[in-house]
Amino acid sequence: MAGVENSGIQADDDLVYRRICSLLEPLNQKGVKLTRDVDLVADLEVDSVSVLDIVMDIEDYYDISIPVNTISETKTIGQLVDAIHAIKGQQG
Amino acid sequence: MSLFDKFEKNAVLYNSLSAIGKNPFAVVMEEVLGPTRAKIKGRETVLAGTHNYLGQTFEKSAIEAAKAALDREGTGTTGSRFANGTFSGHKKLERDIADFLGLKHCVVFSTGYTANLGAIAGLINPAEDVVLVDADCHACIYDGCALAGAETIRFRHNDPESLDKRLGRLDPKFKGKLVCIEGMYSMYGDIAPVKEFVEVAHRHGAYLLVDEAHSFGVYGETGKGVSEAEGVMDEIDFYTGTFSKALAAIGGFVASNHPQAEYLRFSSRPYQFTASPSPATIASAGAALKNIKEHPEIAAKLWANANRLHAALTQYGLKLASKPAPVISVLLPTKEDAFAAWNFLLENGVYVNMAIPPGTPGKESLLRLAVSSAHTNEDIDRLVAAYGALAEAFPSAKVTAAAS
Ligand SMILES: Cc1ncc(COP(=O)(O)O)c(C=O)c1O
Repeated sequence: MAGVENSGIQADDDLVYRRICSLLEPLNQKGVKLTRDVDLVADLEVDSVSVLDIVMDIEDYYDISIPVNTISETKTIGQLVDAIHAIKGQQG
Repeated sequence: MSLFDKFEKNAVLYNSLSAIGKNPFAVVMEEVLGPTRAKIKGRETVLAGTHNYLGQTFEKSAIEAAKAALDREGTGTTGSRFANGTFSGHKKLERDIADFLGLKHCVVFSTGYTANLGAIAGLINPAEDVVLVDADCHACIYDGCALAGAETIRFRHNDPESLDKRLGRLDPKFKGKLVCIEGMYSMYGDIAPVKEFVEVAHRHGAYLLVDEAHSFGVYGETGKGVSEAEGVMDEIDFYTGTFSKALAAIGGFVASNHPQAEYLRFSSRPYQFTASPSPATIASAGAALKNIKEHPEIAAKLWANANRLHAALTQYGLKLASKPAPVISVLLPTKEDAFAAWNFLLENGVYVNMAIPPGTPGKESLLRLAVSSAHTNEDIDRLVAAYGALAEAFPSAKVTAAAS
């Protein structure tokens, strides 16, 4: 299966994006409005281990494996979503 | 934009806690009074926040061996194991550890941290291998993966099925697969189902590394660790450990039945590019190893102390992380509770560790009590009394409060 092109997906239609937002919401202490451009650490102040834990939920939901290295290269919600789409494309 | 901006947020907290003398990360042992006592803030305090599990810090034979090594071989090796820092003492200690564990090969490193770094980075070729790591593994295992530049996949803590799934969906392009777990985990004092992990790893053609930093000398019939308690010493692929806890020195090691483990000596940068442990360090670690091997009653005393403390804390209704183990952690709902409770114990003459997220499993904060075989009955009485007072002063630390 080919990788999903991200440019064509509207954020609200994107199920991966919506799933990530719902997992992030309980950690969103400051009530930041979640968009693709929100920086996980700088804006949401989510620690790196919590990001890894959220990713583990995503992995089990979609039955894919997302390397720790890939996650540490992503800063924003949008980048994380795109990385997951790419891996889903390869593994799914 | 300054280099130092990133420190700002934590510095505010660190400095404000230090200013009021309540910073758990700035405790100084002003005077060491014995294996379980030190002066902190001028007060004689019971130490239950060190890793002196087998009370070997003041073992006479170890101190004498260290003094003799100093006289005989000097203060330092001034070089790395690889280039110019291997003494006969290092080789003898490698033999002694291998014999103790019943494994064929052992390579001594300068710390447990570098031993794990060296094992992972030495074994892994980032172009073709992959590492799978338990979610709660110690920082040095994650740092080892980063140093290796390896593709790293995390599986759920102590969950062989989660590992099974992740091994099952690996891209067949990966040639070598290394799974990393620990024996006893240091935050909760929970132990790994090593036997199940061996089965899953080997079924998928992966190698298993077990870091027994906290369980060496403590678990298993002869103190070999959780792998011994689980009956799989001969099946695990790599055993890593440290001298800094049960043996009360500094240094670490990788042991294995695979003869290729010896090749770490020229393929592992954390072995090649840092100075080797000093003669006195090696001598005291060796003497402590001999002592605990000859005296199994030391580990038995540790377990008696752990069981007594665990039973007392349970009776107070404190919310404990695990069943009886040499680490007994009380769970608290918030960081603020943990800071206050930690200071409360210190004011009651008891030093334990405080751990807060992200360094803890889940989102808990915890007070971590590390038991020692050297804790006297009087030490334990004081610990029990202090935790009893804690249970009264901090209802949030109790099971009932958490459940409601
Ligand atoms: C699981 C684990 N591995 C390795 C280490 C590192 O050992 P060392 O203090 O010898 O560097 C520690 C503790 O510090 C640890 O908890």
